[in-house]
Amino acid sequence: MSYISTYCHISLNQCFVDGKQTHQFNSLSIDQFLKDLYTALSLDYPKFYKMDRLTKLAFIGTELLKKEHPEITMYNDNEIALLFGNNNSSALTDINFKESYQNGGSPSPSLFVYTLPNILLGEIAIRNKWYGENMFIVNENFDSVYFINYVNILLNKNAEAVFCGWLNVNDEMVEAFLFFVSKKDIIQLNLPFEKSKLIELYQENKL
Amino acid sequence: MITYIGAENIISPLGVTSQENFNKIKQAKTGIACYQEVGFGKENIYLSKFKTQTNFYDLIVSCLQAVIAESITNLIFDKKTLVIISTTKADIQENIASPILFSVNKLKQEFNLYNTPIVVSNACISGVLAMNTANNYLKAGVYENVFIIGADVISDFVLFGFQSLFAISEMPCQPFDKNRKGITLGEGAGGVLMSINKNVYKSICFEFVEGTSSNDANHISGPSRTGEGLFRSITNTLELANLNPSDIDFISAHGTGTTFNDEMEAIAFGRLKMNKIPLNSLKGYFGHTLGAAGLIEMAICIQSLRNNIAIKSLGYHHQGTSEKINVTTQNINMEINTILKTASGFGGCNASAIIRKLK
Repeated sequence: MSYISTYCHISLNQCFVDGKQTHQFNSLSIDQFLKDLYTALSLDYPKFYKMDRLTKLAFIGTELLKKEHPEITMYNDNEIALLFGNNNSSALTDINFKESYQNGGSPSPSLFVYTLPNILLGEIAIRNKWYGENMFIVNENFDSVYFINYVNILLNKNAEAVFCGWLNVNDEMVEAFLFFVSKKDIIQLNLPFEKSKLIELYQENKL
Repeated sequence: MITYIGAENIISPLGVTSQENFNKIKQAKTGIACYQEVGFGKENIYLSKFKTQTNFYDLIVSCLQAVIAESITNLIFDKKTLVIISTTKADIQENIASPILFSVNKLKQEFNLYNTPIVVSNACISGVLAMNTANNYLKAGVYENVFIIGADVISDFVLFGFQSLFAISEMPCQPFDKNRKGITLGEGAGGVLMSINKNVYKSICFEFVEGTSSNDANHISGPSRTGEGLFRSITNTLELANLNPSDIDFISAHGTGTTFNDEMEAIAFGRLKMNKIPLNSLKGYFGHTLGAAGLIEMAICIQSLRNNIAIKSLGYHHQGTSEKINVTTQNINMEINTILKTASGFGGCNASAIIRKLK
């Protein structure tokens, strides 16, 4: 038996944790919104400003959940696995990197590094000193069956908890659904990690 | 429950079957050659590149067909069969808007696959991670057969990117050597079939014992100075496999040829007391094929088990790491039963896997 201990949704100017709104902004751009959220969470982590948009989103979502529920950090450093995915890999940064070397410019090393989607897993691992299993997948849509199967596999193998994320960004939209699955129901929301529940939570707050 | 592995294929500038590739590298032939004025600043660059322009989709199709040809009829259509694709940038040159899923969706239709393929895109460990994932699915009983195909092609995008990081070697790469100057990019595809059934293979198959991954939690584009993630991954894999370091006959390391990566690997092997075990990097033959590397190198590992030959680490002459490791300077005919395959990549990721002959 495993549980969705906590989860959050982030969309432009809005954040919800465990189904309840925690933040609302009137930021005029996605980048400004992510910056405003960083400020609202009183974070002091200058590396944040170097990250690309997708990584910022993953990072800030993780910090948001930790702020609401510090319990999720109470694991040994190798007990938390990271399982993230999206449908367009690092597309936004890919385009930005390509533009950096076209039309007379030079290829930007700081952009190139973020043209791998799993870099965001590295950023989360570095911030939290989490040494567990990592995997990033690319899929057309949020696949509840994939997450149910593979999270349970990791929990039965060598993880006590699996921190999952489905996130997409482009020029117009930002979407993040992060959920923390653990063997123990550490926050006691009583949300069993089952397909129907996962789909229900994924669709929550989707307008 | 045993996970089997076999039906391996490699499509590289050296050949289109795993045997052909193995025979070429046995003779120290390399796919690496110098290409004139292809760098961002019109530099001449060493690459392991196909003679004709090759696209990602054609590579994964050819590789999958080759693996299918080495397995029993109609296995690919089975409801309990999955395809996993391992890649970093896929078709980035031609289709930046959808470099991965456009090709993968086409593949699903073309082969009439029952299950939607899973795409692992986890930098340079994608291939090993894809095989670990297959093993996990098989042992959990979710699927019975998994075809794993890894592929990447050389593009301006990737070449210019690595040039911007000053990571491209001016000479063919020399993994673990004291004169190593960086990586040489390569392109190609590698594929294997993993299954819970021994009888799905046309030739002899092997056991995929275990595999795990671990993050360095240290830096996104530089490896840990202590080899922490690689150390932890190998430790976990050995433990789950119920094996000791001394049970490993040979190591197929990642060995990119960059100063920091190779040093990190040597330190991790030293910490594990595995530095006497014969070890190679295959990057001197195939270049660094990114998402294909894990699969191509695993296919060569399987060939090493079939032939009992440990392949020489091309480009290595003098110890170039602070920790002494046993890099092969010639092909060695030896009884090989158990091989450790490792990989490390950007994002601080590390993966390891163990294969062995069936008892």
